[in-house]
Amino acid sequence: MYVLLLEDEAKIASFVQRGLAEHGFVVDHCSQGNQGYELALDRNYDVVLLDIMVPGMDGLAILKALRQAGRNVPVILLTARNELDDRLQGLNLGADDYLAKPFYVEELIARIHAVVRRSVGERQNLLKVGPLALDRISREVHCHNQQVVLTSREFNLLEYLMRSPGRVLTRTQILEHVWGYDFNPSTNVVDVAIQRLRKKLDPVGANHWIESVRGVGYRFRQPEVLP
Amino acid sequence: MTHTSLRRRIALWSSALAGGVLMGFALLSSLLIIQAKIDRLDVQIEAALIRLGRFPSGGLPSQLESLLAREMEVGDQTAIALLLLDGTGSIVYQSKNWPEALNPVYYQLKSLNPAQPQEFDQSVRPRRGRVPIAFSTRRSPTGGWRVGVVSNPQGRGAIAVSLQTIRQENAVIRRIYLITIPGALFLIATGAWWLSGSALQPVNRLSQDINQVTAQGLNQRVSSGDIDQEFEGLIQSFNAMLERLERSFHQALRFSGDAAHELKTPLAILQGELEQAIQQAELGSSMQQTLNRLLEEVRRLSSIVRKLLLLSLADAGQMALRRDAVNLSQLLEEQLEDVSLLAPDLRVEPQIEADIWIRCDRDLITQVFQNLLSNAIKYNQLQGWIKIQAQLQPQGVNLTVANASQALTAEERAHLFDRFYRGDPARNSETEGLGLGLSLAREIVRAHGGELTLADSPAEEVRFNLWLPT
Repeated sequence: MYVLLLEDEAKIASFVQRGLAEHGFVVDHCSQGNQGYELALDRNYDVVLLDIMVPGMDGLAILKALRQAGRNVPVILLTARNELDDRLQGLNLGADDYLAKPFYVEELIARIHAVVRRSVGERQNLLKVGPLALDRISREVHCHNQQVVLTSREFNLLEYLMRSPGRVLTRTQILEHVWGYDFNPSTNVVDVAIQRLRKKLDPVGANHWIESVRGVGYRFRQPEVLP
Repeated sequence: MTHTSLRRRIALWSSALAGGVLMGFALLSSLLIIQAKIDRLDVQIEAALIRLGRFPSGGLPSQLESLLAREMEVGDQTAIALLLLDGTGSIVYQSKNWPEALNPVYYQLKSLNPAQPQEFDQSVRPRRGRVPIAFSTRRSPTGGWRVGVVSNPQGRGAIAVSLQTIRQENAVIRRIYLITIPGALFLIATGAWWLSGSALQPVNRLSQDINQVTAQGLNQRVSSGDIDQEFEGLIQSFNAMLERLERSFHQALRFSGDAAHELKTPLAILQGELEQAIQQAELGSSMQQTLNRLLEEVRRLSSIVRKLLLLSLADAGQMALRRDAVNLSQLLEEQLEDVSLLAPDLRVEPQIEADIWIRCDRDLITQVFQNLLSNAIKYNQLQGWIKIQAQLQPQGVNLTVANASQALTAEERAHLFDRFYRGDPARNSETEGLGLGLSLAREIVRAHGGELTLADSPAEEVRFNLWLPT
């Protein structure tokens, strides 16, 4: 996947680039607004990541200009500024998604996948990892053709784990994503929820797909690639 | 300390002042009128005495008193008494109505040395003119008398004129004063009330304008058009003050906004790098656990920065809300589901009406309830309870979140909404301080036009009341 990253903070750009490259993305990095706009017009990116506060044209102006030029490339805004206002303005200007700094690269990757799938009209409701199949619209989970009945929170938890197989997700990360909690020290709620989820996956023989990472959190097992 | 109404005081003071002046005037004028009348009387007594001296002795006309009264123009009602002595001091004529109280005059006349008319007693006042006449005012049970005494070698005489009439006239004047002065005072008080009212009207208008300014934001100014020139200075100072206030306010706001931004960038770098490092570290290794703890602290910092930024926006009245129709009942149910996960030992007693819809910013309101409920869990008792009630009212939703708790001191209650307040440090050593959560929750609720308050409750209970408009 071909990604444009407009970010003037070199250190942020560095870890984002590395994280994206690890997942097989090809990243063009640019730290100046006008240059970024030229690139975005010039090349056919699958997704554009815009920091709002950059030298030259700012992210919102670029977004506006792109949409006026009839470019429908998916855009994700990244910003550290006043979150609420930018979120509103950005979404109104036609951004596909919005991430406030500081963000997790894992979250960014998941959002990129989501907006790209949406933009190519791909059915993004089905998520299949290993024997587990999860339907985001009907909110049903099947394993070896047997349905697993989950509560809303359990479903979101499983979906979150499944969308980044092989990646370690910390308890805080899970709590923030699934429960929407701001930083909260009572992360044992994650352990309780994982226990319940495993118990429900046990009868269909899928509980070992959720692995504990001692002292850190959990991860969904990466299915072995068939030769 | 607030004084009583300025208007009332102006009215009172001006009528008191006018009252004092009028009373003084009345007193002085009545004294002067009496004096003038007595002076006139004295002139007439003097003329009468001179005329009397021209009558031959023994040839006094009958009804001398009424004759004199006519000549003196004092009116028929005024009593006149005469006492005439010859050169040797024996009585030639004494009016029938000569009052006994005036007998000292007789002794005075008798003892007078005609050759030395100046030797009158002290109360007697010699008058200018060729004929030395002494005047005095004497009291009797029937009223005052003005007595003129003349003495020459041919004879001595005294005319006493009753002051009754003068007193009566004076009483009439006083009665007139008694009626007119209160009337005048009433008019003055009313006038002062009206005048002070119209003088204060610009002040009232000004304070209305100022109220509007504070309600609408610091960028408003009071207009100085159509206002009396006396208030122009006040308006200018007020506007200048607003200007300064606005400038420093914006500086502070920009500062916290900039500070948050400046903090977020390094936090983003830290978080990104740590996240990558955790992925790369050996699974379950102590390095990975350490990195995880570091990441948690970074998240804690981010959370504080985010709350500070939200609070500074709220303080500036610029908390942007994205209002959607939200099913509050459902939102609360979800939150309570989390409570049962977070603290399975607590007894949760919800009384939530079904399908309460309100227009609110879902993320922010969720944050409010997360904060209230996580506090309710954190500060609960062992085997304690949490009660949550939600009732739909015509204008909004009334919510109560209560939990069992250790007794709070009055000081802790008073400071519960303070930023970074921790209460008794010994008691809260294990739990996090309230920090910014409650303060932010209150600001979020206020930005929605609602109110979050700590309710009175029994000692072993903490109860928050929350009002949200629909």
